[in-house]
Amino acid sequence: TTEIYTRSIVGSVRCVQETGFPIFRTMDLEGNVSDSKYEILDKPTLIKLFDIMVTERESDRIALNMHRQNRITFYFSHLYEEAVGPAIGAAIKDEDKIVLQYREQGILLWRGFSIQEILHTVKGSNKDHAKGKALACHYSIPKIGVLPLSAPIGSKIGHGAGLGYAFRTQKEDKIAVTFMGEGAASQGDFHAGLNFAATLGSQTLFVCRNNCYAISTPIEDQYAGDGVAPRCIGYGMPAIKVDGCDPLAIAYATKHARQMIMERKGPVFMEVYGYRGGDHSTSDSAPLYRTKEVLAKLKPYLDAIGDPIIRLGKYLEKKGYLANYKEQMDKVGKAAVAECHKYAKEMDETPYPEYKTMFEDVYSYTPQNLQEQMEQLDAHIKKFPEFYPLSDFK
Amino acid sequence: MGLFKTKEDMLKVLTRAASKQVYTRVLLPKSLRAFSAGPAPLKMDFSEKVNTNEIKLKNPTKLKKMNICQSITNALDIALATNPNTFVYGEDVKFGGVFRCTVGLNEKYGTDRVFNTPLSEQGIIGFSVGLVAAGGVAIPEIQFGDYIFPAFDQFVNEVAKYRYRTNGLFNTGGICCRVAYGAVGHGGHYHSQTPEAHFMHTAGLTMVIPRNPIQAKGLLLASIRSPDPVIFFEPKILYRMSEDMVPEEDYEIPLRKAEVIKEGKDVTLLGYGASVRQLQMAAKMAEEKGIACEIIDLRTILPYDFETIEKSVNKTGRLLITHEAPITSGAAAEIAAKTIEKCFLHMKAPVKRVCGYDTPFPFVYEPFYLPNRVKIFDGIQELMAYQLELLLNQWLSLIHISEPTRPLYISYAVFCLKKKKNT
Repeated sequence: TTEIYTRSIVGSVRCVQETGFPIFRTMDLEGNVSDSKYEILDKPTLIKLFDIMVTERESDRIALNMHRQNRITFYFSHLYEEAVGPAIGAAIKDEDKIVLQYREQGILLWRGFSIQEILHTVKGSNKDHAKGKALACHYSIPKIGVLPLSAPIGSKIGHGAGLGYAFRTQKEDKIAVTFMGEGAASQGDFHAGLNFAATLGSQTLFVCRNNCYAISTPIEDQYAGDGVAPRCIGYGMPAIKVDGCDPLAIAYATKHARQMIMERKGPVFMEVYGYRGGDHSTSDSAPLYRTKEVLAKLKPYLDAIGDPIIRLGKYLEKKGYLANYKEQMDKVGKAAVAECHKYAKEMDETPYPEYKTMFEDVYSYTPQNLQEQMEQLDAHIKKFPEFYPLSDFK
Repeated sequence: MGLFKTKEDMLKVLTRAASKQVYTRVLLPKSLRAFSAGPAPLKMDFSEKVNTNEIKLKNPTKLKKMNICQSITNALDIALATNPNTFVYGEDVKFGGVFRCTVGLNEKYGTDRVFNTPLSEQGIIGFSVGLVAAGGVAIPEIQFGDYIFPAFDQFVNEVAKYRYRTNGLFNTGGICCRVAYGAVGHGGHYHSQTPEAHFMHTAGLTMVIPRNPIQAKGLLLASIRSPDPVIFFEPKILYRMSEDMVPEEDYEIPLRKAEVIKEGKDVTLLGYGASVRQLQMAAKMAEEKGIACEIIDLRTILPYDFETIEKSVNKTGRLLITHEAPITSGAAAEIAAKTIEKCFLHMKAPVKRVCGYDTPFPFVYEPFYLPNRVKIFDGIQELMAYQLELLLNQWLSLIHISEPTRPLYISYAVFCLKKKKNT
């Protein structure tokens, strides 16, 4: 059954135009699917989906604890948004490229990026693919088709449009999946990116994770319309709103969106409704602005969408794929925690790369001024070695 | 105290670290360090008293201990109270700001005047231009200097040129944009940039950077009330670190004037923002070697006060400029060129620039990248040594030694003199 949430819960109270955009969901909170045509994923895929969601939650928890122990400097948690990444990963092809914002680590795990590599990226150690030059959590992984992540919000939306255009003109059976939050949808780059994609025809799937908060800014301060998807009527591209805690709905919608993109050779927009359960990042403290009154107002919405892991677990139990989803959660959770601890130790002991690496890859060659500056720094460190943490670096 | 077996152990280890003044966190086990750090700060008191030559106070005894963050909140409070047509806004400003600089203002002045904007820097500055055209005063906030670039077109093509292209009929003087900027220890390239050089090229803008709470409050109030648009960069690493006894009343510090913080006769050190602390520490290190440094805080980067610099360089003959931003075409390059133009005959050494390298701001390599007190001290020594080589060069030219062979004689002479000094 598709249910329509009232605007007063998820839209802005100032919205004047009733767009009648329903939010697509396939199963209710107890795991009952409304129609068997929505069950497009087979048993191994579903079990993998469940395992990855649990791994994501547990590894997030460990990473936040590690931050409190001062072993890593920065981390984003994905609480209640674990379903978005893996479900989309399950429905697209391996050749499709992904443009991240920053809260979609699940799709990296789905595609085979390991916890070990994540921890090294977060620290910036010698085993990090970016050799410690990029800010923490800035993934850029060619082997699984993930474009470089960067902090300025919204700047990647245009990149997704361009990438999709290249796929279309080169007649490739690939799409560019571009993630953003509802806050990024306020940036100028959003308008530019979507307009270009729709007008020029890009094979891009835009996925907006509307999780009700952009750091401390709630949706009432972010927009006055009925969410982000209705804006696409203006740009001329198909759009859908999806329940973000319903993995089957996300997978089904993504699969059909991909078909639509390849048929009409143009972009499709998906607004995924979820909730940012944790803080914005380790530098934020949500209770400062998410007071008891605010949470009481949000309660109907939170009760309506529930917890993605529990919903999927109940569905798997009903289908008979799992005997007891809580046991599976325990088992997979413990394995994830053990893996985290094992690689956390390795992460602590791996030094940072050589400090000379700082001067590399500014250009494709090393220009004269950087060569001079590198020599200056070498001479300086030879004179004053005790002031620099050389033992931390290789 | 979990790492150490006894309290005496802990005290012994920590005092050894403090006395050696080696890099911070050297003695904590590796597993407890999140990021490496460069040279540890010297034990110095950076707090200052109010400069009564510049600031005339009505109640000089009514002071309150504040850090930069609190002094900014205080300044905004005064600005909102004294002018009812003032607006403070930006991303996450309503709940107090991600750096807690606007705490309590929304509760006091209401959501029409202190509010959140949607997530768009381009939108924030565009919105500001319209707001001040109706006669208001706008104090937008850009959350990080790294994210100011979507607003670059609005700043350069609109804010800076509004008065010029209307021949004074309109102006954007009511805008004072506050930006949290600068290195913070683990910021990487999107939480540490210092973009003042990008804007220095744009006539029509004013840029102001404070070094401590007393300066921050006075300069911010002056910037808000200035008839020209101002970008106010706040060094975020000093938000809590820099504390002073700040006057509680409404006072302003004049813009477009540099301040001589310390007088000296040997070398002029020029910097702004968080770099001033590095200059002060380097000057202390140089003092122990008998070098008297004069420290100037530039305060207003554009238009900058060259008169003060000229007066100082004519006295000392040597100039060292420092900033976190990359060296090529940074603020130091412009000031160095102008200094050589105006003070050439008074100079005993070329201008030394101790700045960041020409790379994007690196994440884990920050201890090596930043211009710290040790690099500045090294630069001071280099400047002082230059005198000797210049003199030798002049003598050798007088006795007609040819140019190519002079370096040989100079290095031999320097070697003998140093050997003599050591024995």
